[in-house]
Order: sequence, then structure tokens, then C-alpha cells
Amino acid sequence: MANILVVEDDEIMLKAIKNILSKDGYNVILAKNGKEAFDKLEHADYDLVLSDLMMPYANGLEVISRLKNDPAKRHVSIIIVSSVGNEETITEAFRLGADDYLKKPIMAGELLIRIRKLLANRAVRHSL
Amino acid sequence: MWKDLTDLLYQAYEQFGFLPLFIEIALIFIGLALLATLIAYASILYKRWKGYIYEKRLNFITPKIEDMITEQVLLNEKLGSVPVDEIEFDPVALSDKIYKKPWVRQVMIDVLIQYRKNFRGEVGELLRKLYIDLILTKDSFDKMKTLKWERKIKAVMELTQMDIPISDVTILPLTNSQNPSLRAAARNAYIQLSKNDPFKFFDIATEPLLPWDQLDMFRIITTTRDISIPNFSRWVSYSTNKSVVSFCLKLIAHYDQRSAIPAVMDLLNNKDHYFRADAINCLGKLRAEIAEVRLQKIYDHQPLICQIEILKAIGQIASGKYLEFLKHEFSYSSNFDIRMNAARAIIDHDTEESRAIVKDLMTTTYEENRIIIKHCLNPLIKY
Repeated sequence: MANILVVEDDEIMLKAIKNILSKDGYNVILAKNGKEAFDKLEHADYDLVLSDLMMPYANGLEVISRLKNDPAKRHVSIIIVSSVGNEETITEAFRLGADDYLKKPIMAGELLIRIRKLLANRAVRHSL
Repeated sequence: MWKDLTDLLYQAYEQFGFLPLFIEIALIFIGLALLATLIAYASILYKRWKGYIYEKRLNFITPKIEDMITEQVLLNEKLGSVPVDEIEFDPVALSDKIYKKPWVRQVMIDVLIQYRKNFRGEVGELLRKLYIDLILTKDSFDKMKTLKWERKIKAVMELTQMDIPISDVTILPLTNSQNPSLRAAARNAYIQLSKNDPFKFFDIATEPLLPWDQLDMFRIITTTRDISIPNFSRWVSYSTNKSVVSFCLKLIAHYDQRSAIPAVMDLLNNKDHYFRADAINCLGKLRAEIAEVRLQKIYDHQPLICQIEILKAIGQIASGKYLEFLKHEFSYSSNFDIRMNAARAIIDHDTEESRAIVKDLMTTTYEENRIIIKHCLNPLIKY
């Protein structure tokens, strides 16, 4: 059972994603902003982080940057889920190390497929 | 105690008549001010109390609604296996008495919209179905009938978010409302909801499309899926609303509607020079080579704003036939903006001939013009 950290400041979206992912069998931990995400990342290991971009205290780009600059956490996969859809931001997110990007409004099915694929690829990489 | 107080007030009333006039007036003003302060404080307290009660109710009902949506929509077992239209919700979950209260129904609409903003696809469609099955459409349509414009805007936005069609009889008059906010909301809704003719309201628009509304509308037009884009030259030729024509010129350029070139060229005869400037700008963006002769011909009779647009347009069309004209304007015009735009137009041609002209000008022209050319040659400087 994979551990997924969901970072999102919109409480409705946070709960909705938690319900969708829990239904699919994932262990979901929630964080309401970037700062809370940093605290949670310090104290537990995650397989995947699902993060919004525009959040108080620390934005999604900072979350990616912090994760990818930490040798112990670099392996964690990151999916950005945001309504910010301009090319510059998407490019910047990928440059910093995001693995995937979903623009809101999202499709629940698509989110699950992308998570499954990312985790499967990650498992293959680990076994090599 | 009360008797003493009434005696005191009575004595004060009796003596009031013996006081000097300005003291009487001052006392009346003091009394009125005290009364107004008391009323103001009372109304503030009442509003805060109402807000507090609403907040409390909201904190109670929102989780309940969210749980119902989660159960009926997000975790619906039939999602993905049965077509959305055939999915039936649990009647017991939906028939809770509390969901009949008007304020609860409004919270339900708000929460559903919040979900719709985050989810599309089957989940989005099921949220819409829940909105319809709970007969929340009636609540939104009832709001459309009120006289308060802010409630009408809310209703229009709710129906738009839920993708519920609104009849032309209801929405078209609102697209031409005298209230700018209601007008903008109705126009945006019409574009998003009308599948066949989303720009029909241009035909009846007598109120202006404000610049900010144009920006918002442009965003909606370019981001709404499956929108049928008409030939905007229809309004360029026949609309009497200047802001509609100006907006259509921008859309013609954006959608590269080259078939609209003749209609746009007709605007070059218009008496309004702002109109002509917009038309010239559009022709430049369309790279309408056919218009180049005409643009050069009318150049000398135009005001500065149109002359600058002509120079820009010739630079964008870049046929190479008017390089000598541009060189002449750059060398002999006394106006700085003309020289700047002529230089940029020559550079924009980016051909052997234009590069030769730039090289020649750099050696023959005077210092200020050389600075202009260097400025225009710098790719990092846009303006």
C-alpha cells in the first residue's frame, strides 16, 4: 500500500482527493499548505506527493524544489494538480523535478491511472 | 428611582424652552447624533450576530453536504461502469428534511459548484446530475426572477457552472442590461451555454463591451471547449456598436479569419480614426498583402495613431514592396514615434534587402537615428 501525501489548500478538494485515493487502497496523508507538507515530509516516508501550486506559506514549486534537493527524499514522485495552466509554470515545475502535471478541473479516473503508472514505473526502477 | 428620572426629564423639558436658541439647536444635534450612534451600533451588532449564526449553521451543514456528495458521487460504485445518465442516487440520502430549507439548498449549490470547479469528466457530469435531481435548478431560476442584480448574477453563474441551458428569452435581455456587472456575467454565460450561436447577443448589443469585459470574454472564448466560432466580419460590417466592432477585429486577428479582410478594409473609410487604427492593426496581424497598396496610399492623410499602425502593419505584412517608403519615413520624419516604428518595420522584414537598408542607414544617418536602429535591433527590447 503506497503512502501518498496530498498538499492542497482547498479543503473540499483535499477531502475529495483523499476519498478517491483511499477508495483505491492508498494510504493518504493530508497537508493544507507547503509548510505543513514540509513538516510531514520530515517525519515519514512517502512514495508520492500530490501537490497544488498556489498555496499559502510555501507554494508547490517550493515543495518540488525542497524534495528534489534532499538526497534522502529525491526518489519521491511528484504530481502537480493545479488550475494554473500557463506554459512557464508547467515548464518550471518539470524543470524542478515534477513527474506529472494535471490541470484542474481534473478527471478522477485519469488521476488514478497516472498515479498507478508512476508508482509502477517507480517499482520497476527500484527492482533494477 | 424611575420617578426621580422622569421628574428630571420633565424639568429639563420645561426649561428647554427658556434656553438660548443656539443652545437649543446644539442640544437637538447632540440628541440626534446619540440616536444615530445607537442605531449604527445596534445594526452592526445585529449583522454580526446574524453572520455568527450563519457561520455556525454553515459549520454544521457543510460537512453533512460534503459527506452526501462523497457518498453519492465520488465513491459511487457505478461510476465508470454505468453511463452517468443511468446512475440513480440513493433516494433516502437525498430526501433528508434539512435539504428542503432554502438556506441549506443555497449551501448545497455552493458546495456542488466548488466540486465542479475541481472535477470534470464523469465525476463532473454526476455532480451536474445531482444538482438536477435535487431540483436545485429551480432555486437558481427563481433567483433569476428577483429584482436584485447581484442575485441575478449569482443565478447566472450557478447555471453556467452547472452547464444548464438558459432560454434566450431570459438571458438575451440581460446581455444588454444597463448594469455593467450583470451585463458581463450574462454575456459570458451566453457564450458558454449557447451551443449553436454563442455570439448572437452581438446583434442586439447597444451597451458597450468594456475593456475589462473584453479581456474576460476573450479568455472564455479561447478556453471554452466546443465553441462554434463564426465569421466575425458579419458584425464588422453591420454592427453599430463600436466596442463590438473593435472586439470583433481582435477576434478576427486571433482566429486568422482571412475571409474577413474585405470587410476590415471597408473600415478604412470610417470617420472614426480609432476605428481605422484598429482595422489597420487587424490587417497587419492578418498579413493582408492585398491591403498594403491602400495603406500606403492613405498614409499621408491619417492622424499619427493611424500612421503608426500603418507602419506596424507594413512591417508585419513584410512583402518588401514598401521598403523605400519605410526608409523615407525613417530618414525624413520629424516625429520620433514614426521613425521608431519605421525602423522596426524595416527590421521586421528580415530579408537581404531590408538588412542592406539597415546597414546603409547605420552609416549614412545621424546619431539619434543610429540609436533608434540599435534599439530596434535588440531582440530583448520589445517596445
